[in-house]
Amino acid sequence: MADTMGHSATATRNTSVALGFCLLAIAPQIFEFIWSIGTIFGWGAGRGPAAVVVAHATALFAGAPGALIGAASGDAKKASSEVLLALIYSYPLFAVAIVTLFMTIRSAQDYVGGVILMALALFALWASSDLQGMRGFSFGAGTAPRMFGGLLVALSAGIALTGLLTDGPGMSHYAWRGPLFVMAAILFFALSIRSLGLVVTAFVSFMIAATGSHETRWLEAAIVGACLTIGCAILFPYVLGLPMPMFPRFLVQ
Amino acid sequence: MDIFANLAHGFVVALSPINLLMCLIGALVGTLVGVLPGIGTIATVAMLLPITFGLPPVGALIMLAGIYYGAQYGGSTTSILVNIPGEATSVVTAIDGHQMAKQGRAGPALAIAAIGSFFAGCVATVLIAILGAPLTKLALAFGPAEYFSLMVLGLIFAVVLAKGSVLKAIAMIVLGLLLSMVGSDIETGASRMAFNIPELADGLGFATVAMGVFGFAEIIRNLDAGAEMNRDLVQQKITGLMPTKKDLIDSTPPILRGTVLGSILGILPGGGAVIASFAAYTLEKKLAKDPRRFGRGAIEGVAAPESANNAAAQTSFIPLLTLGIPPNAVMALMVGAMTIHGIVPGPQVMQKQPDLVWGMIASMWIGNLMLIIINLPLVGIWVRLLRVPYRLMFPSIVIFCAIGIYSVNNAPVDVILAGVFGLVGYWLIKHDFEPAPLLLGMVLGPLMEENLRRALLISRGDWSVFLTRPLSAVLLAIAASLLLLTVLPVLRSKRDEVFTESEN
Repeated sequence: MADTMGHSATATRNTSVALGFCLLAIAPQIFEFIWSIGTIFGWGAGRGPAAVVVAHATALFAGAPGALIGAASGDAKKASSEVLLALIYSYPLFAVAIVTLFMTIRSAQDYVGGVILMALALFALWASSDLQGMRGFSFGAGTAPRMFGGLLVALSAGIALTGLLTDGPGMSHYAWRGPLFVMAAILFFALSIRSLGLVVTAFVSFMIAATGSHETRWLEAAIVGACLTIGCAILFPYVLGLPMPMFPRFLVQ
Repeated sequence: MDIFANLAHGFVVALSPINLLMCLIGALVGTLVGVLPGIGTIATVAMLLPITFGLPPVGALIMLAGIYYGAQYGGSTTSILVNIPGEATSVVTAIDGHQMAKQGRAGPALAIAAIGSFFAGCVATVLIAILGAPLTKLALAFGPAEYFSLMVLGLIFAVVLAKGSVLKAIAMIVLGLLLSMVGSDIETGASRMAFNIPELADGLGFATVAMGVFGFAEIIRNLDAGAEMNRDLVQQKITGLMPTKKDLIDSTPPILRGTVLGSILGILPGGGAVIASFAAYTLEKKLAKDPRRFGRGAIEGVAAPESANNAAAQTSFIPLLTLGIPPNAVMALMVGAMTIHGIVPGPQVMQKQPDLVWGMIASMWIGNLMLIIINLPLVGIWVRLLRVPYRLMFPSIVIFCAIGIYSVNNAPVDVILAGVFGLVGYWLIKHDFEPAPLLLGMVLGPLMEENLRRALLISRGDWSVFLTRPLSAVLLAIAASLLLLTVLPVLRSKRDEVFTESEN
């Protein structure tokens, strides 16, 4: 009884892990899509969202299989960057996702870690695929990245394999509150230091970061934040002589 | 004698008022960092890099060096008094040190730790002075092939000495090497893996990645560890700092052994202070007539690791100053500091910048003296600092880090990148990957690639050059046998034993 229960539990978990890997396999495409939404409002120069979706969809469903068949029958054409992404990055990860469905994962920590690392390595291989390789006995710009990228693929496959073959810890718990607010504080700092100046930015970032802990007491945090802001405002621009805007731009002008 | 003349010159430099001040500031900041848990040496040195912009190069490096060995010192104080190791290097000190404190012998424990550290610091300083010149000569005989093999050896050392799975450690190094290749190619100028993002054209900043992976990631991790760390302060007043005669006699041999072991492990690339303290503790336990005393307040368990970590912290400057190869992540940041000031680390530094090298060496001795004089009276203040709750400390660290990264290049994108690497670091911790080898790989990456390319160009594409040149072959053979030994089951269990020591 307990055995079957355990089995079904792993089965459901495997499906979600496999689904996660599928999502990972098209993560760069999704990222480019989200990025391209900005072009609607006129931010940045690049393709619009519709063009991105069409290019990647054709690459994934038509271009890449076509290129594979072409390579098999011996007529190699120069593949586009989307097709290469599908071939080098997405397809291997889809394959891993499918394999995952049929495996018993004995250490999720190692297995998932290994696969994500492999995704990083494959992505690096794709990113350096347009660079020049060996010319005679001299290295091209792309030789070393490809060499180490390949090595990392092998190593991460090894790690993933350890996760399948030996027992080990499962996935550890991820908290959301700390990372979210600390990242929010960092983002706020980066985006507003130029326009709002050190004083406002440092204080607001401090308060945002402080939200990341559920033990924070507001009054206390505000006092410490204010003191810290004053300290930084004296230390960095005056004592250390680092050029930094102090007050919001619209107030200064 | 050349060495004495050099050292004398160094003392003249180090004793100038500005450098004395820098040394004092460095030692104090280092102690502070060592005392406070949740903020490591690497993050601090990275954070303070931009601050050294305005300083003269010698002063800047003296200060950064002070932070490094000061932290080894400060870590021991809190380990003994509060059982919270502020630094990874003093984790083992906490085992016996805190037991001594509970038995009301906190004073002698602190004093022995200080004496051991000071003695080890003195020996290591002399060692750097003696070994510096001959190693520099050796370095001049090095061609690109030898350099490449030496770096391979260094990285393998980092793997052997890293905690946990060997496979994972190697993967981290390779990931670091890959990260180092982002940006423009040194020879052809082609943009590599930069996706036309102008901020990436120069490559990922080393300080940015270090701050993300060690600073932000550590904060996020501590936050989800949740709840205030358990702080059972030793409340009674510390009376009688002086150790008894028996304490001194008991701890002399461990201090000597710890110093020797620490010095050796410090020079080896990839090692550094953490492993030295673990190894010294294990050695003492093996040698002891009655090993059961360990863990119950044996003074040897304080003396040996404290001497070892201080010795290692200092001797790890040797490969940096003579070969230009950083043996660990903190030294890698020192390379960053040197480059900021226009000094290229390597064999020529000793000749071209005698002020810098010998001044720094002499300042280490002075710094150690300062630490012993200042810190024992200040123990009370350091302990009070521990009562600052983490909920107030972490937002402050976030802000300091953010300002620090921003001021390196005045680039907001760097801050965002550091944040991203913070998340990467958090993920690495969750999957039990060690970030230190990654950082080392990232630092050695460009050097390694350059030497690999050069070696192959000289040999006309013949890979066997690494095996036919005797020095290079020897280095590679050592690397290979080390790796083989680590994978062997017998040694594996020994290695795990050393590391589990810290966890109970």
